[in-house]
Amino acid sequence: MRLNRFTIGTLAAVTALALTLGAASAQDVDWSAELGDHSGKTLRIIMIQDPWVGAFGAINERFEELTGARVIIDSFGYDETYNKEILAGSSRSSEYDVIVLDSPWIGQFAESGFVDDLTGLIEADAEIVQFADFVPAFQEVSRWGDEIVGIPFGAYFIMNHYRTDLFEEAGLEPIRTIDDFKAAAAYFTGNSDFPNVFGTAMNNQRGAPIGQAYFEYIWNFGGRPFQSTYPGSPEPYADMTPLLDSPESIALVEFFIEMLQYQPAGAENFAWDERATTFAVGRTAMVNAWSVRTPGFTNPEQSGVGDVFATTLFPHVEGVDPVPPLGGWVMGINRYAEQKDLAWDYIKWFTSPEIHKAFVLEGGPPSRLSTLQDEEVRTAQPWADTLMQSQAMSYAEVRPRIPEAFEIIDTIGLYISQAVQGQLTPAEAMQRANADVAKLLRDNGYVVND
Amino acid sequence: MKPSQPPPSAPNGPPASRLRSFLAAPATPFLAPAVIYLALLTLFPFVYNLVLSTTRQNLARPGQGGFVGVDNYVTLFTSDLFRIAVVQTVLVALGSITLELVLGFLIARLFFAVRDARGSSLLRTIYILPMMLTPVVSGLLWSYILNPTLGIANYLLESIGLSGFAWFSSGRTALITLIAVNSWQWGPFLMLLMLAGLLSIPREQYEAAELDGARWYHVVRSIELPAIRDVLLIGLILRLIDNFRLFDVVYAATKGGPGTATEVVSMFAFRQVFQFFNIGYGAAASVVILFMGVLLTTFAVRFLRREETRVR
Repeated sequence: MRLNRFTIGTLAAVTALALTLGAASAQDVDWSAELGDHSGKTLRIIMIQDPWVGAFGAINERFEELTGARVIIDSFGYDETYNKEILAGSSRSSEYDVIVLDSPWIGQFAESGFVDDLTGLIEADAEIVQFADFVPAFQEVSRWGDEIVGIPFGAYFIMNHYRTDLFEEAGLEPIRTIDDFKAAAAYFTGNSDFPNVFGTAMNNQRGAPIGQAYFEYIWNFGGRPFQSTYPGSPEPYADMTPLLDSPESIALVEFFIEMLQYQPAGAENFAWDERATTFAVGRTAMVNAWSVRTPGFTNPEQSGVGDVFATTLFPHVEGVDPVPPLGGWVMGINRYAEQKDLAWDYIKWFTSPEIHKAFVLEGGPPSRLSTLQDEEVRTAQPWADTLMQSQAMSYAEVRPRIPEAFEIIDTIGLYISQAVQGQLTPAEAMQRANADVAKLLRDNGYVVND
Repeated sequence: MKPSQPPPSAPNGPPASRLRSFLAAPATPFLAPAVIYLALLTLFPFVYNLVLSTTRQNLARPGQGGFVGVDNYVTLFTSDLFRIAVVQTVLVALGSITLELVLGFLIARLFFAVRDARGSSLLRTIYILPMMLTPVVSGLLWSYILNPTLGIANYLLESIGLSGFAWFSSGRTALITLIAVNSWQWGPFLMLLMLAGLLSIPREQYEAAELDGARWYHVVRSIELPAIRDVLLIGLILRLIDNFRLFDVVYAATKGGPGTATEVVSMFAFRQVFQFFNIGYGAAASVVILFMGVLLTTFAVRFLRREETRVR
């Protein structure tokens, strides 16, 4: 990766800040004095069923000992978590005290009033929360207007994971650009020197999987999905005129179609699990996957590539500034919860530097700069370097965070899937997607110009 | 003193009079709880759904939206995706029922032929096991078995020198695979009905046919098919309704993809209500689906009854 001056400067500043905050976090918190006595209470958390969810079991025992409260976590798949949280909010249910939000959901939950503004709580517990220690882009993700709707605890980035043994044998360098990615994928697929190995696996499944893939790649193709949404934009949602039928968008869909030939059979139905699994079982030479999957690749019970893979930045078109895709989760308080004190005690404890590090060492995604710089973490997660580079270049609005985000992503996913299946040409697909998304945005009061 | 007598009923009188008679009848208070229960669980939700379908409401945007008249229906009838969903639902229904009828009859005849053999009951039980599975489990199971890369189906095919199929992963094969999986699960239902029909045929008819020199196809056409026609009619209507409501397998295996290859009407409505939370639009979709189902079933019943009468 070529590092320009801006990136080097940002990395240096971020590192200095991380080291400073890391020193501060080394002072242990007296949790018994900091947390309330919640004996006899039960804290209910709704959680996404991502690979690290098992880490909560061991860590939460500490909280239970400290507070006397019992912690119950209900974890669900992506769509189910979203459904349950919307239904809980719309019915003003107090069933859950703590809820988690994916970055595209932030605007919807904030606008609907389903989550509390945590700004006052964060200020009151500033020394514990150390909000500035979180990855800067994720600090932005957790904000909506003047509110902070959640504490970032699960920052993800998409990295290129590649097989070091195969690349070395092939004499290939780690990929950097989209062309590198295509060439490497083509090299391994059908190569008799690498039997049963395909180039890569990507999200191709209709709906959110391929819809989100669009937003992962479009920036790195030099495009943007909406007129005023781009890195550095002062008002990302001021002009929501969709640009889904731009030349860059159509080129991206053509890329998705082209890449199918370098993927294992059945790739048309691949989503996050399948693309990661094919890499873990050694069927693909590389995969662009969320960093949340990376610890699983090192687990011998789940993966056969533990010692022979490395990571590098998400690829980009030559000449385009890279924008590594950012995603992940914030932890917020249900507006209708009846145990908000308990909920906040849990959130500030769980996301504190000390406990966050423990969570990361159990396989959780590092979301604090200090954690990314911690030697113990960097030993346990050698890809921390790639994460550190990614966070410096990422963009909070890489996926729209407006209330209509889910429907926009799904709509785009429908049409791209039809193009991948050959039901529509790439141009037709993106023109229809553009028209549908424009109508959706216009109907909901956004500025959309013809 | 004689007990009070109920007023004389007036079954042929004017409606108001008939209503008064009904309300005054001794049985009415005993029927009331059941009627109220049914009204609450069926009539009220339907009417509420109908009203909801004339609004633009989103659960994720409380307090926004309002009455939009027939806008939702206009959008629905001009939606390409809904049109595709309707066509594919009909294709799945026709394909599944045809496969279940043909295979079900062949297997019913097989079980009929070996009905007295040892182990035939066990075989019959094994054959109907798929019906015991929850449809969503069936969908998940087959999505794993038929995974082109990691599934056992292609592994077994490739181990005997054949190439694997795309199954659910290709737009060309996904719908056929869905029909096959659907038929695998519910084929035993029609088979059981047909077997029951065959078992009701008096043995003397077979003996008479044999004496007359009838061939097997004469027996099938003139003895067996007429015997199973009545029960089959009921089975076909039920399967038609079931196929129109098909959701679980699609949700578990394909989510309507790849592309729109397995989009069905129930998946369309589900997505609107439970993914986008457009409950007004989703309600309109469900109203249209209900009426289409009623229409389809009505025509099917009339057609089949007409055929039954013609044959008699």
